[in-house]
Parts: sequence; structure tokens; C-alpha cells
Amino acid sequence: MRNTTLSEGSTMADTFKRIPGVALMLFVCMAVFCTLNADFLSIANLTNIGVQSTILLMISLPMTLVIMAEGIDMSIGALLTFCGVIAAYFLALTHNLPLAIVMALVVGLVIGIVNGVIIVYLNMPPFVVTLGMLGICQSLALILTDGQTISDVGETIGFAYRGDFLGIPLPIYFAIVSYAVIHLLLYHTRFGTYVFAIGGNRDALKLAGVRVNLHHIAIYALSGVMAGAASVLLTARMNSGHPTAAIGMEFDAIAAVIVGGTSFEKGNGWLFGTFLGVITVGVLRNGLNLVGVQSSIQVASIGLLVLVALLLDSIKSKA
Amino acid sequence: MTLPILELRSISKYFPGITALDKVSFDVYSGEVHMLLGENGAGKSTLMKVLCGAYQADGGEILHQGQRVNIHNPSDARALGIAVIFQEFSLVPYLNIAQNIFLGREYSGLLPGTLDHARMHKEAKHWLKKLSLDIDTHTLVHTLGVAQQQMVEIAKALSQNAKILVMDEPTAALSDRETTLLFEMIRKLQSAGVAIIYISHRMSEVFILGDRITVLRDGKQVGSADPKTTTPDELVKMLVGRSVDMAYARDFQSSPGRVALKLSNLCSENGIEDISLEVREGEIVGLAGLVGAGRTEVARATFGVDKVSSGTVEIFGKNRTGEPFHSVDMGLALIPESRKTEGLALIRSVEENIILSGLKKIFPSSWINNKKAQQVSEDLIRKLRIATPSGKQSTQLLSGGNQQKIVIGKWLTTDSKIFIFDEPTRGIDVGAKAEIFALIYKLVQDGAAVLMISSELSEIVNVCDKAYVMREGKISGLLEKDALNEENILKLGMTDA
Repeated sequence: MRNTTLSEGSTMADTFKRIPGVALMLFVCMAVFCTLNADFLSIANLTNIGVQSTILLMISLPMTLVIMAEGIDMSIGALLTFCGVIAAYFLALTHNLPLAIVMALVVGLVIGIVNGVIIVYLNMPPFVVTLGMLGICQSLALILTDGQTISDVGETIGFAYRGDFLGIPLPIYFAIVSYAVIHLLLYHTRFGTYVFAIGGNRDALKLAGVRVNLHHIAIYALSGVMAGAASVLLTARMNSGHPTAAIGMEFDAIAAVIVGGTSFEKGNGWLFGTFLGVITVGVLRNGLNLVGVQSSIQVASIGLLVLVALLLDSIKSKA
Repeated sequence: MTLPILELRSISKYFPGITALDKVSFDVYSGEVHMLLGENGAGKSTLMKVLCGAYQADGGEILHQGQRVNIHNPSDARALGIAVIFQEFSLVPYLNIAQNIFLGREYSGLLPGTLDHARMHKEAKHWLKKLSLDIDTHTLVHTLGVAQQQMVEIAKALSQNAKILVMDEPTAALSDRETTLLFEMIRKLQSAGVAIIYISHRMSEVFILGDRITVLRDGKQVGSADPKTTTPDELVKMLVGRSVDMAYARDFQSSPGRVALKLSNLCSENGIEDISLEVREGEIVGLAGLVGAGRTEVARATFGVDKVSSGTVEIFGKNRTGEPFHSVDMGLALIPESRKTEGLALIRSVEENIILSGLKKIFPSSWINNKKAQQVSEDLIRKLRIATPSGKQSTQLLSGGNQQKIVIGKWLTTDSKIFIFDEPTRGIDVGAKAEIFALIYKLVQDGAAVLMISSELSEIVNVCDKAYVMREGKISGLLEKDALNEENILKLGMTDA
């Protein structure tokens, strides 16, 4: 058997090799912040990190699948913003929460499908296609709001972010359900198997008689619809629709996926790694806030996190 | 009277500029092993891709048990009970063995679209056991060795309960023990009534396994043979054929001078072992062997593209070390196999490409003088007779022969004394071929040393002074003078011949 267990003759180096880089980074970050600030490890703050990380988690999970399929979705931050504005727009118009949610989901889904169709059928590079879509979504959000904040969204939607059930904040349930759904999709369905295969050996999948293009588009559709779902939380958090609310969030999402050990090649992905990556980004942002570091420096620290994580993994694969 | 389970009637397949298959007819009966033999580029793989639905034939028809059928895509092929074991692995690296075996025909769990992992692992284990393979079916495929991956590939095909099994050199990566197991498996399948089409380079396999042999050459069917009444020598003759193209025959005697290039016990990280050879000034030395024998790897290691793990490369008695640009400084030039990806910047002009290697010599000060660049390139275009409207033409619009001349022309502006040509005439027509060889002859007569890699046996025989033959990463022999003929190259190049 190839997988030797830890007990048999393992050295320190072996043990180090088996721990994923992202877990080491998370551990180091948490250790540093709890020595710098005693409040960091309080239940209230940890819950806070979880709640704050939910939106990022909801877009990073499908991003993992996109990257596994040798693609990328640069439009996710702008799409999240646009869907959030859509939800706020329909709330202000009709005060009908279910309708607003459905509209956000539909817009997300449609734009995801458009991304997928252009990438797959027109054979365009994912980076370019989704970068174009980033501009379009950003612009649509500004047009729809006229550059202003939509604040007439009523009281109901805020509950989604601030409410709790059995003492646990609602966003945590969003996170758990999202993770469970994507986990099931990736590891327990045909679709998930084909995600590995599209990145790993697309020709093999074609030769196996699978309708590869449809599954490939579905990956981008999933990314879009998850952005729609996350946008409901985004609008709830701000209790308004803001045309630049989640601009640049694709950076955090891509960073979380890469830090989590998913690679751009061969369909090598790890969903739980993405979860750890999201938490690491969340811990970093939260910790730096607590210690009083400016948000402009926080972006650099996330960039650094990505570089260190990649470096760690390359050292380990050579060790 | 029984019908063949599968019959191909005068199947043709064309690619731009090439006839890959020319009216090939072929049939196979249930319980029969039909061996398909041919040199590189003879059309075996194309034929296989037509069978499995990856390519559409441009002419001819396919009959399944006497009924005409169309195979438009892989699903059609599978519905007819055709399963293919590919030479390039059709495995997904980050899926486990069971998922790979059942790729595209997964068992559903309780809900539609979900997977029944337990059942897939159980059946995968069953197929691995049949091949005496003791590996956990949860193992990710990318952690397996090449031989084990090949076995998984075989298990995948077997598990489809195929009526017609097509194998493309299945033993290429297997050890003797695994090969024996595979042969036993094939015998079992045969007695169970499965029809097997087996493509091989190994002479011994042909005689051990085959009920019938069909030989392809240059996309044409040369003939069929009965292994019981045919000798290996007769087969080799069929493979080689008699049509030798003399358009490029050389008309001068070489006069070898000093040793220009000397490899001693060269090993590289890319799988070549213990390569020793010598090329003298004024001679053309061939490097023959099958595709995958390691010829290109020798060129890459010599040039410094691949890392040398042991052994030495000497250029005029001096050790070559360092990066490719050091090799160029020492007088080495490499004309790579794939001119489109390694030899040319396709979207750039003829002029830009042709002066690329010589920039340092033509413009020692690093500043480029457009007038001089144009002069040098026009001079070369004339000298090499490159058919292009002007030096400004983008190279991707030129024919293969003219592109190749540019790749060679690149090195004429440098002080190169040793030229390594990797398949210099691949995909170019006879006329251009003759011109390319005329160029090579000119180089040699001016005192250059040439090492030429070629898969075309007639080229090696008619162009080279002597030739080394490679097999599986090693040199299997040196052929000189009268011994340098196609039969000998094939014998040395094929395993177990």
C-alpha cells in the first residue's frame, strides 16, 4: 500500500511533509494574533471570523471547481456586487423578499452560463472572458443604482445576516449548507468526477462518451449561482445595495483557493483546503484589524500569504 | 459460414497534405487476435481512432456482423462493444482507480447523478484481481507508476465487457511478468469469444499471439500474413517495402576530419542511458530508432536543454557545460523536431526569424540596424531559395518545407560547426525534401558535422555515412557501410526482433 501511516518509522520531516501548507499557515497566523491580542481567541471573535468569512466561502468553493477545470473566474467579485444590487433593487421596488432572492439567483446563474458558453463553445481563454464580464457586471451595477446606494430595502433581509437560530448566527448555517452541497457535488456525483477529469484529461472524458461541454459550462453556471446566493448575504450585511460592495473580492477568493492547495493544472483540487484557505484569509483580515493595521496593508499581507503558501508546498514536494 | 464481427472496407482518411489511410480494408472475427503492424506514421493509430469514433473516415464503410454501421462518436463505438486501450493514457490523474475505470459510466447511487462508490470499488477490485494486481482502488492514479497505469487502462477496457478489444502497444510499458499476465488474459478473452485487434512493434509478440497479421505502410495496406507460415524476415520486408525515393540521393564521398562531437556514456534525467557516439567533421551520422526510443532526448541532452545526469558531451575535445546558449557559443546548432513550437516564432516575419540566432554576431553592439537585418535576411532567402513574397511575410503562411529552410537558415548566420537535425523532413513534400538535403550536403562539404535523427529508414540509409540505432533509451547498434540497410535498422530498433 502506498499510504504509509504516521506511526511506522516517520521522521519529523515526514510529518512536516504530510501537513498541508495551508494548515501550517493558519496555525502560525492564529498563534501570532493570540499572542498580540488576548481577545483574538474569544468565542465572540471566532464566531465573528466565521460570520465574516461566509460570503468569501460561498464564492471560493465554486472557484475551486473552476480552477480545477483549468479555468478562472475573474468576474466573481463584480458579479457578487451586481447580484447584490439586483436583490436590493427588487426589494426596494416590490418589498418582496423571495422575489428579490430569486432574481439575484437567476441573474447570477445567467451570467455564469454566459461565461461558460463563451469559454467552452467559442474556445476563449477563461481569464479574458471573465475579465470582460467583470467590467460588464461592474458597469451594470453602476447603471442600475445610478451610482447611488439603494437603501430602501426594508427590515426583513437584514435578518439573514444578523439573525440567529439556536444561538448560532444564520450566516454560519449558510456556510455549512454551501460547503455540504458543493462537497456532495464534487465528491459524490458524476458532475464532480467530471470536474476532476476536465482539468486532468479532457480528451479521456470525451473518449468516454461524456458530454464534456455541458459539464464544463455547468462549472461556470455553479460559480454564478453561488455568487447570486452569496449576494443575498452581502445585501443583508449592509442592509442596502451598494454598486461597489464586493469589488476586488475575486482576489480573496482566488487567493483562498490557491492557498488551500488547489493547482491550476491536472485537475488537482482540494475542497477542504479551500475552506482552510478562506478561514486563513478571514483570520488574517480579522487579526490585522484587531491589531490595528490599515486595510491597505491587509491586501499586501494576503498577497504575501499566497506566495508563502506556494513556496511551502514547493519546498515540501521537493523535500 | 460466420461473418467477421467487424469489417472495415476501403477506409480512407485525409488530413491537410497527408493521406493517413488509403483504402484500408481489415476485418476481425470473434475469438481471433488480429495483429496490426507498421512503422511509425503507417496509419495504425489513425485506423484505431476511426474505430473508436474519435475520427470520422472520409471514405469507405464499417460493417458490424455484416450490417453497415456509422461510428460518429465514442458512444457509438461503445454501443457496438468496441473498447480501446490507448497508448497515450486516457486516465485522469487526480481521480482514484475505481473512478478512472468507470469514467463516463459511473454507477448511480440512491439519487440520480450521485455515485455508488461502494459498488464501483467492489467491481474495480474484481477487475484488478483478474489482472493479479494488488493495489487499493482508492489510490489516486497520478501516484501510480507507468506500468501500473497501463494495467489500470487494461482493466478499464476489460470492465466494459467488450466484444471487440483494440490494444495499441499495450506491453510498451510493462515488465515481463506483467506481459505474461496480459497474454494469459488475452488468451482467456479469446476463448470467451472476444475479437482482439492488437497493434505492436514487437516481433516476438506477433508470433506468440497473432492468428493473422496485417501490415500497413504509408497509410496503405501492404498485405496480410499467416504467422504460422511467415518468417520474421519476410515480415520485415513487408514493413520496409521496396519503394525507395531517390530524389535526394547524395553524389559525393564524405571525407571525415576531426572528431567534432563526442558523447561518452551520456545519461539524462529524461530517460536516456549510457549513450556514446562520435560525429566527425564532414560526415553525416544518422540516429535511427522508433519514436520514443530516446533520439530526441539525446539531442536535447547534447544541446543542454535537458539536464545531463552523468557522462560527458565533448565539442572539439572541450567539455560542454551549462545552458543552451553556451552550446551555441561552442558551435552547436539544434534544428528541433517540431518546427512550429520550438523552431519558429510563427506570427513573426521571415526576416525576424531567420536572423534570430545570429543577432549576437550580426549586431555585436546589441543595437539592431534594420537595413543590415534586411540585407542579411534577403541574402539568406535567396541562398536558401525560400519561397516567400518578402522578408516581411509572417512565417505561419509558408509551407512546411519553407518553414524548415528558415529554421536551418537561422543557424547559417552563426558560426555553427555541428548541426543536429531532428526529423528534418517531417511533413514536407518530396521536392522540398530534396532541397533540404541539398542544404545539408552543402554544410557537410563545407566541413560541418551533422547528426541526423530520422524515422524514415530510407533517409538514414541513403543520406548517412553511418548510423546509430536506438532502442528504449539505449544505443542498440552502430551500422556502417554495407550493414547500413533498412532491415538491419528495423531489427536493431524493434524489441525482441
